[in-house]
Amino acid sequence: MLDIQDLHAGVDNKEILKGLSLNIKPGEMHAVMGRNGSGKSTLSNVITGREGYYISKGDVRYKNESIIEWPPEQRALAGLFMSFQYPVVMPGVNNTYFLKSALNAKRKHNGEKELDAAGFLKLIKEKLTELDMDTSYLQRAVNDGFSGGEKKRNEVLQMLTLEPELSILDETDSGLDIDALKIIADGVNKYRSPERSFLVITHYQRLLKYIEPDVVHVLIDGKIVRSGGKELAIELEEKGYGWLES
Amino acid sequence: MNISSFESEFNKIMRRDYFTSHVKPIREQAFNNFLEKGLPNKNWEDWRHTDLKPIKEIDFCLSEISDAPAHELDITEFGLDDVHTIVIYNGHYQENISSVPSGVRLISLADYGDQNAWKIREPNDSPFDLLNTAFMDSGFCLTIDKGTQIDSPVRILYISSTEKNIMVSPRMYINLGESSSITFIEQYEGNCNEYFLNGSLIVELKENSRMSHFRIQNNSVDTVNIGNIHVQQDSASHYTFNQFACGSRLGRLNLLADLNGKGAECFINGLTLTNNIQHIDNHIVTSHNAPFCTSSQYFRSVLQDRSSGVFNGRTIVSEGAEKTDSKQSNKNLLLSKGALMNSNPQLEIYADDVKCSHGSTTGALDQDALFYIRSRGLDIVSAKSLLIRAFVSEMIEPIHHENIKSYIISKFDAWLNENTVQ
Repeated sequence: MLDIQDLHAGVDNKEILKGLSLNIKPGEMHAVMGRNGSGKSTLSNVITGREGYYISKGDVRYKNESIIEWPPEQRALAGLFMSFQYPVVMPGVNNTYFLKSALNAKRKHNGEKELDAAGFLKLIKEKLTELDMDTSYLQRAVNDGFSGGEKKRNEVLQMLTLEPELSILDETDSGLDIDALKIIADGVNKYRSPERSFLVITHYQRLLKYIEPDVVHVLIDGKIVRSGGKELAIELEEKGYGWLES
Repeated sequence: MNISSFESEFNKIMRRDYFTSHVKPIREQAFNNFLEKGLPNKNWEDWRHTDLKPIKEIDFCLSEISDAPAHELDITEFGLDDVHTIVIYNGHYQENISSVPSGVRLISLADYGDQNAWKIREPNDSPFDLLNTAFMDSGFCLTIDKGTQIDSPVRILYISSTEKNIMVSPRMYINLGESSSITFIEQYEGNCNEYFLNGSLIVELKENSRMSHFRIQNNSVDTVNIGNIHVQQDSASHYTFNQFACGSRLGRLNLLADLNGKGAECFINGLTLTNNIQHIDNHIVTSHNAPFCTSSQYFRSVLQDRSSGVFNGRTIVSEGAEKTDSKQSNKNLLLSKGALMNSNPQLEIYADDVKCSHGSTTGALDQDALFYIRSRGLDIVSAKSLLIRAFVSEMIEPIHHENIKSYIISKFDAWLNENTVQ
């Protein structure tokens, strides 16, 4: 599904990822853990195509195609999704309008019939219930006046609606209380399937108690220094990152 | 247009028998005052950012009878077909297709002047008011009597359509009696290349009256549109002004509102959309001359290409105007590196117990927001138009009158379609 080979990438003239390789197969849930400054955000930004990053070596392949030259929307239409660490507040942009436009862009791309207002409303109401969100959401502007938890729920709501095949969850647990964390984890777990893959980027092991990864990678100074099963996350929680640094 | 061409046109109008002979000395005095002042230049504080080249470089002449329409006009293309309309075509009143609702008394400027022995308010705040008085060619007075509520909006539709370089100088008076109300629309349309419209509008709101005023500047992007609006408000009167401007190469709104009676409310809003080399200047002065008055000035602009704009908003709180509540906000969105906005919200406060705020922001589209939208699968043009739409929605959404709102939305959509680029 996602194959990253010897990726060297950075911003301005500073190399941040220094030869990172990662392979995620359909149905797998991978977690990348690392401290601040290890390159986690750069990794998610490079995969989703944010401007301002350079790639000096290596490749990012999605479903066997190199996507590093693709604009962000092309990646999204192909099935990539990122739940943002800091979702953007957009006053004046209505949630319903935004999400309906995004879904219909995707349906159109897939050769499916676009949903009308009634069809979309029916769909979105089901998803709202799933995430225990209020229908007042539909009238509000995107993330405008949302609490930290509401913003993260909104990200997961967008994921459930747009039905991506590869979802990157970037620090989705930050700013969440335990109840919200469980609701979000439930939503993600129900969404797991043999065709869908996930890349969870996180600082702490907290989220991984609720969303069990198949593989855990440790990112230090732009490289993956250790990969293992979910027990690696527990080990990191106990020992910290120091023992893995050379 | 240099001074000698103004003079030759002035001599022409003095030979015409527009209105009555009583108006000639009034014209003469205004024109002499204009000659003394001259056209504003960039050394004038209130004109620092506006270049009057489009007026100075072209010789405009008075409209002739031959500039009136040869056939009956069809005004359906200008939308808003559910309103009563007064049509002015190249400065010529089109009586056969004009109407006002019952309850509105419409009289010509000539009659209005005569009835008042020409002791009517002649504003002389700017050279353009003086020019308007010197050259006034069409004019009306709308009166709404005490206690009369006019439900159907009244529109004055100015159409410019000629191959010649015409100048027109309409003059309007609107007098609202105590506890009366009206919705009034000024709409500017037309496809002229060179056209100089310099209109003055004098509004008087008596106690407890209400006026909702729309100004739609949708004339061609090659013309000059100068609007001089003077509003006088008695106690507990309510005035709302909404301008939507996407036309004119050079546009300048001079709006002066005087809140003279206790508890008057005055809300002035404007949305400006410009491209190419358009320049639109909004010059607003709200004067609080009585206590317990509320006012706001909300202006937003979206500027594409090398277009430019000015927001010069001043709120003056005079001595004794205690409990004034006033807000000013100007936000501008620059869609290109060559676009330029000059924003200058100002407060002058001479009273102690007041609540006044002002703010201004100018910037490009938010790159983080663009990436966020694109990461959900919408292309860059859709992402930009989504954000531009959000930026203007606060100006359009509050409009109560559904037909006016949908007309403005249709004009905005067309502009957005042409001006949102990768």
